[in-house]
Amino acid sequence: MRLQIVVAVLALLLAVVVVEALRRRRLSEGWALLWIGVAVAGLVLVLARPLVDRLSTSLGIAYGTSLVFAVGIVFLVVVCINLSMQVSRLNRRVELLAEEVALAVAQPPTPGQPPTPEQPPTPGQPPTTDDPSPPDDRQGRRA
Amino acid sequence: MTGRILAVVPALNEAATVAAVVAATGEELGADVLVVDDGSTDATAAEARKAGAVVARHPFNLGVGVAMRTGFRYASRHGYEAVVQVDGDGQHPPAEALPLVARVLDGEADVAVGSRFAAGSPPYAVSVFRRAAMRLLARRVSRRLGVTITDATSGLRAFGPAAIDRLADAYPGAYLSDTVETLLLAGRWGFTVEELPVTMHRRAGGEPSAGGLRSSYHLVRILVVMALFDVRRPLHAEWGR
Repeated sequence: MRLQIVVAVLALLLAVVVVEALRRRRLSEGWALLWIGVAVAGLVLVLARPLVDRLSTSLGIAYGTSLVFAVGIVFLVVVCINLSMQVSRLNRRVELLAEEVALAVAQPPTPGQPPTPEQPPTPGQPPTTDDPSPPDDRQGRRA
Repeated sequence: MTGRILAVVPALNEAATVAAVVAATGEELGADVLVVDDGSTDATAAEARKAGAVVARHPFNLGVGVAMRTGFRYASRHGYEAVVQVDGDGQHPPAEALPLVARVLDGEADVAVGSRFAAGSPPYAVSVFRRAAMRLLARRVSRRLGVTITDATSGLRAFGPAAIDRLADAYPGAYLSDTVETLLLAGRWGFTVEELPVTMHRRAGGEPSAGGLRSSYHLVRILVVMALFDVRRPLHAEWGR
């Protein structure tokens, strides 16, 4: 009985933490839904203890708790693998983005002109519209 | 090249149709056209440029919502007075956007939504599940805004200058948030939201944004977003810091 109370409290705590993280925008809605699902599963386990015992017996597992542990570990491994894949993808995207930004600010020297950056503008020529620095769209918004 | 109206065309692998959409949009709306190529692997960007559009390119696919945010930032930086979203797949006939653009340019509305389901719009076929979900969302949005919205998930919308500046900073990028949450934000900011009937085509090609299980997830997700809307910290572009 005491174990069930502990599990119930942990599940509720998890739900509170997740909703608060969602509220502060520390967590995206997708992951939040997953962890809320875990909290709900925890509460279901508390309420349906006999069901867990019956299921584990039918699977040839002596203790219901062992079944819960086994399922829990498999679940966590799946989540971890998923996270590793997401981190790998993010890593690849950051590399690609950094390359794109680097290329966007790289300007080849204009043909027929020495590649000195402090060249005074030639009269009669339209001024260069390309701004070599990346534009800062937050300018003035914070002030 | 800088007029008052910017048509933002989010496009993913629409090389076959994008040129026609760009030409029609520029001509019928008298708008500058920005195609946001959302990580296409085909000739979408080249076709769009050839047709006379300015092309912004995402280095990888980020979704329609993020493509629109890119569009709003472009519009905000270049001082456009109206932004209208026109999908690259030919689902939105550009001429249908004309009355919407007129409303925001006249200052009658900050956000004008083209509805497929308003009185006066011709029947638009969708599946039963989809229609029920759309009804639910429309009802909730209407209740919050105090304005009857029959098509909260419509992508055919026009935005005025105040909305452009706000959305350049905080346009929600996720699927369904880009349409539904944007309307809630407009309400929060005290903007006038107006709905007009429009005619939309079925998609010429490509798949709908989501099917079965995925759309259920997106629906649950947007319901969570709506439920927490008042208590959540507002989303800003710098939220990742």
